[in-house]
Amino acid sequence: MRNGTDRLRALNAPQRVRVELDEQRRPRVVKREAGNEKRVESFGENWRMDDEWWRQPIVRRYVEVVLEGGGRVVLFEDLMTGEWFAQMPA
Amino acid sequence: MTLTPHLASDSAACCWIPLFALRTELARRPELASLPVALVAPDTTRTPRVWQVAPLARRAGVKPGMTVSQAIGLCPALKLCEPDPVHYDEQFSRLVAALVTVSPVVEPVELGRAYVGTDGLERLYGSPQQIVEEIQMRSAECGMRNFSERSFAPQTSHVHSALRIPHSALRIGWGRGKFVSWVAATRAKPGEAVIVPVGGEAKFLASQPLAVLPLDPDTHRRLLQLGVKTLGALVALPEEAVVSQFGRAGRRLWRLAVGRVAPEPIVAALTFFTPVGERDLLAHALDKLVDRALGDPRRSGWRVQVVRVRAELEHGASWLVTATLKDPSATRERIAAPLKTQLERSPPAGAVERLVVEFTAFAPGTAELQLFARDASAAARAGRRRALQSAAREIALRIKRPMLYHVIEVQPWSRLPERRYALIDFEA
Repeated sequence: MRNGTDRLRALNAPQRVRVELDEQRRPRVVKREAGNEKRVESFGENWRMDDEWWRQPIVRRYVEVVLEGGGRVVLFEDLMTGEWFAQMPA
Repeated sequence: MTLTPHLASDSAACCWIPLFALRTELARRPELASLPVALVAPDTTRTPRVWQVAPLARRAGVKPGMTVSQAIGLCPALKLCEPDPVHYDEQFSRLVAALVTVSPVVEPVELGRAYVGTDGLERLYGSPQQIVEEIQMRSAECGMRNFSERSFAPQTSHVHSALRIPHSALRIGWGRGKFVSWVAATRAKPGEAVIVPVGGEAKFLASQPLAVLPLDPDTHRRLLQLGVKTLGALVALPEEAVVSQFGRAGRRLWRLAVGRVAPEPIVAALTFFTPVGERDLLAHALDKLVDRALGDPRRSGWRVQVVRVRAELEHGASWLVTATLKDPSATRERIAAPLKTQLERSPPAGAVERLVVEFTAFAPGTAELQLFARDASAAARAGRRRALQSAAREIALRIKRPMLYHVIEVQPWSRLPERRYALIDFEA
């Protein structure tokens, strides 16, 4: 009998975005799936993360940015697929 | 290790004022007492329904749950009152506060009904009869308006005097356990008490009608058709026969009629985003699952005797550990300790995809009795949970899909932010 629920929904799941990069391969413009497009005003920290190399490797390049209008988001590039995602800052 | 001291009790006094909200309203507006009065339900969203009905209106055929238009159709003179839940809560809080002066173990159940744990009070007050008298005295002094049966009387002069005279509608039942005390309270006359002596529970319950059990109308009808009219007749049947006729609900009813009912197995499960092999992480997850299972309201009143952990491993393998607690417990540390020992001694052979903690056997309270929510915070948690469950049911009815979630830790240590926390359906 299963009376304990285990239907999990991840919190802060990455949202796929499209980005335009500058010459240093840093995001210049961020386009969300919904269609709105925002320029990157400034950059914060950036870091790289390698994980689960023993299973299905996860390699990400993170960059923290402030978008026009003041929104702070964390963007990362999935270096295995080249796709970009946005997440809420921790 | 320090353990939180638990306030608990095996013997209970059930304090009950039927139609509490209506009586409170009439105590505030005595001019209504001679009229056929009904309160409108406070939580009806679309069609207003009748909630509590005074005897005069009941005599005209008005019943709780009817729509207001049906009720007025049956009783054109019906005086409908909008409810004032805050006022009713305030009045009930005064009663609860008075009960707390008698015993530290008080569990409010609903408006007008509260259980008082009476273990150990004999040294203060004496026999159960004297304890009950103390409760009656404190409740009469609490400042809450007294709700006489006569507050429903047709003669206004009597009503006024009844409201002033401490002739309470409070009914008290005393016995071992909440069910026995509740049944005793339902048998008591207004302002009086019924005491079920220790050892006399089975005899007392045997003569009670089936209606004291939490039965649905269909089960009630079927039992009557089988010639079962009292709890004694129900208990006389073999438990298996009742279960074969009425399923799991039958088992619960049978055990309740005997005097005790243990909860069904309580399960808490977690599916990891990615398989987990680290023992520290599994131990952490175990703690979280034991906490969740302990928080299940069905566990209230029971200590855990047998706990089982199942793990589904990568590549279809599994892992199972069962621990029987020599001293049944309701504390996470004690329940999780033998599981963690097993986890160290014989860990799973692979990474765990899904971890399940299951409480399969329970023991009623002795050393740390669980018949009551043991402290004020536990009672408050139970109240909040009830309110949440009610909200969740309403949301599910309106939106047809779950929209209320718990936030739980999944892998808070993970470097991937999306794996640290998750939403899990709040089950009503």
